[in-house]
Amino acid sequence: MIERWNRDQVLALAPDASSQKAAQGVSSPGKWSNAGVAAEAVWGECKGSGSKPYRACVDLSEPAYRCSCPSRKFPCKHALGLLLLWSADGVPGADEPADWVAEWLDQRRARAAKPAAAPRTAEPGAAPDPRRAEQREQRVAAGLAELERWLADQMRQGIAGSRRHDHWDGLVKRLVDAQAPGVAGTVSRLGAVLSDDDWPARLLSEYSLLHLLLTAHRREALTPTVRGRVGFPVTKEEVLSGETVRDVWDVLGRRDEEQDRLISRRVWLRGRATGRAALVLSFAPTGQALDASLVTGTALDAELAFYPGTAPLRALVATRHAAAPAAPPPGSPPEAVLEEVAAALAGDPWTDSWPVVLDAVTPMRNGSWLLGGPSGGLPLHPSAGTPWRLVAASGGHPLTVAAEWTPWGLRPLSTWDEEGRVVVL
Amino acid sequence: MADTMTAWEDLVSTALVGTDRRPLPAGPGDPAAELLERAAVQTVRARAGQRLRAGRPLDVAPPEEQPALPRAAGDRLARILGGERPRLLAEWLQTAAGRGYRLSPHLLPELLDHAARDRSIRPHLGVLAGRRGRWLAGLNPTWSFLSQEATAAGPRPEVWELGTSGDRRAHLAALRAADPAAARELLATTWEKESPEDRAAFLELFAEGLSLDDEPFLEAALDDRRREVRHEAADLLTRLPDSRLGRRMAERVADRFTVLGGKILVNPPSACDAAMERDGVRAKPPQGTGEKSWWLQQIVARTPLGVWSELLGRPPRELVRMKITDWGREVLAGWVRAAVLQGDPEWARELFASDPLADLLAVLPRDEQESAAAAFVRGHALDGQLIMVLGGAAAPWGPELARAVLQRILDFSRTQPWNIGELGKLAGERVDPALYGLAERFSLEPPIQEVAALLRFRDDMLKELQ
Repeated sequence: MIERWNRDQVLALAPDASSQKAAQGVSSPGKWSNAGVAAEAVWGECKGSGSKPYRACVDLSEPAYRCSCPSRKFPCKHALGLLLLWSADGVPGADEPADWVAEWLDQRRARAAKPAAAPRTAEPGAAPDPRRAEQREQRVAAGLAELERWLADQMRQGIAGSRRHDHWDGLVKRLVDAQAPGVAGTVSRLGAVLSDDDWPARLLSEYSLLHLLLTAHRREALTPTVRGRVGFPVTKEEVLSGETVRDVWDVLGRRDEEQDRLISRRVWLRGRATGRAALVLSFAPTGQALDASLVTGTALDAELAFYPGTAPLRALVATRHAAAPAAPPPGSPPEAVLEEVAAALAGDPWTDSWPVVLDAVTPMRNGSWLLGGPSGGLPLHPSAGTPWRLVAASGGHPLTVAAEWTPWGLRPLSTWDEEGRVVVL
Repeated sequence: MADTMTAWEDLVSTALVGTDRRPLPAGPGDPAAELLERAAVQTVRARAGQRLRAGRPLDVAPPEEQPALPRAAGDRLARILGGERPRLLAEWLQTAAGRGYRLSPHLLPELLDHAARDRSIRPHLGVLAGRRGRWLAGLNPTWSFLSQEATAAGPRPEVWELGTSGDRRAHLAALRAADPAAARELLATTWEKESPEDRAAFLELFAEGLSLDDEPFLEAALDDRRREVRHEAADLLTRLPDSRLGRRMAERVADRFTVLGGKILVNPPSACDAAMERDGVRAKPPQGTGEKSWWLQQIVARTPLGVWSELLGRPPRELVRMKITDWGREVLAGWVRAAVLQGDPEWARELFASDPLADLLAVLPRDEQESAAAAFVRGHALDGQLIMVLGGAAAPWGPELARAVLQRILDFSRTQPWNIGELGKLAGERVDPALYGLAERFSLEPPIQEVAALLRFRDDMLKELQ
């Protein structure tokens, strides 16, 4: 039986704020009939506006959702409302799933088994066309050469006049045309540094790292990492066909970011035995469903396939074996966390985000907020403000805290209370 | 370290104006590429070589004394805070505080923010915050109000000297309930040193166990520097017909009211003298009210209600129905105010019959309140007054009023379904939640089932907090 998730964990699965609200409207026991939970599924029938109730069920091990309502939101409010009811201990246990639930679960299992039985073979015509690949290499090289000249020009003329948000627009378009979307994305986000008081230093850092990337690409150094950052695509199939790492992965937290009507969701994991950090990235246009299968504070026994790189972080869940009992993840003292980050930067100097778990740390102050212990602490990201939830949970006592390391400070993700329950920060 | 800092500052300065105008100190190759390369080295070095920084740890919060909230109750609180049935927050907090629980620490910031905006929930938070909450509030000036609220700590003798205002209020209230004279004597020992706000708040507690023994103390308080204190004292003295204030008021009305030919004739006061002001009559009328009318209303409101039957020779039942020449509105308003202020059920009952007001309803004994409200609901249209009057009927409503209101919801759902929302919510919030079964069986119509769902939510909520 899977341990019940708490309310924050359930709401974190909602595709947007309006879904969260709608889900709460259908989370009362009165709305549901024939609800039950057994093994790894929870199900129920929710009275809708029509004569027939909607049938919703959730496979908790994934989690995966199904509902007979016509909503395009995913998971829909019924699935979420059902989970909220379950999280409030409002769904009675059952020995067996209802028939229609069992049927769906069987179908899912059959589908999951299929690709394994018939591994995808390369379809004719899917093999990379060497001529087109060559063409892309040339285009990218030309685009990057132009960027390199542009950066040098900036240095010669000075960046004092660059404090304009449209400063990079033309450049970004040319980089997109040059089929270097990774670099184009990095350049398009440069405008964000302008709000910083210290923007000239931030901008110089960003330019210098771009220069480093272009040089590395020209010299064919750190190949998979550099090619990934430039924007050469790696298909899911390629990633999944590589080596996988099996472990019990703790889901530390997540962050959604919107840019140009596209939401990117970052979910950070760490392996309990291997200590490996992982990032599962997914995208969806604003208002559409994001991957909601990784719930903060839960753990899963799974195989992860990492994207190639010299400090691999981004990964795909290749095979899920089972849910694992949730517990606070093992952490490290702040010194060890810094070493880990240094090692990641040695492999990939462009790393600007790395999930860490700090053991026995307390919030501290020195004008701004830090997180650390007797030997000192790491600063928090300015966007964290005063981390009141964290301060309250700590009460000055040491805690295990999962956070996203960034060059500008830690962003707290989650912590665990005295009873070992996750608190989303 | 200092060198690398200077080196980095130099690089930034150069980048700002450009290498054309501010060449780098001699280096091989293109100065622009050189600048970028040196900056890259510094950037990665700074990131990878980050060191721990010194910081002041927070003082450790003291250990808790109160029991932790049951898990299910905490989850439900999070649901309410998250927007599910937000109007139940106050009831949740009140119940949980009454049971002496403390909140899970991570919920504290959100609730303290709530209480910063909404004063009414602060007393509950005083208990629920526990020692962690007080510790936390000490770190944020926005939450400093918490230190004024009573804690869960039981009554202790040193509280009167050392406690928060809230603790002292709670202590005095408990003492007043047990031994009114002891409470009065305790307050008298520190009266001169109390802040005006505290004096007014403490005096308010004298409503409990009020007797003629309090009269000298209250009479003295009529000369207090603070208006709120004077008014509170005057309000309390009004409830003591044998008080000096009561007698002065009786004298003031004595030659102004007469009965002639079955009508009451009134001669309103033509001035508001210092003695009237001392007894709580405000001299300056609000905008739009005439002076005489204003003074008349007030002296009627502050005259002990027992005076009237003696003065005019009729029981309240007849008085409220008599014709009053010219000043009827003022006199009735004064009587209503007096019935509420003096908590007089007999007058309230008679006045409610002709002027159904929530405040009057609230003065009636519980059983009577409920049947009076039920009778009113059965015969009244769906309007703002219906909601207001029902608001005066103390929760939890029993079966009689519950049935009456449910029936009206059902009636109105057929004639003006768009208008029943507020009535449904009020029923869901005020009916005794244990009666959810009654509501569920009452009718299968959605508006009734909505009420039933709300009652059930509250029933579960209260059970979790047991």
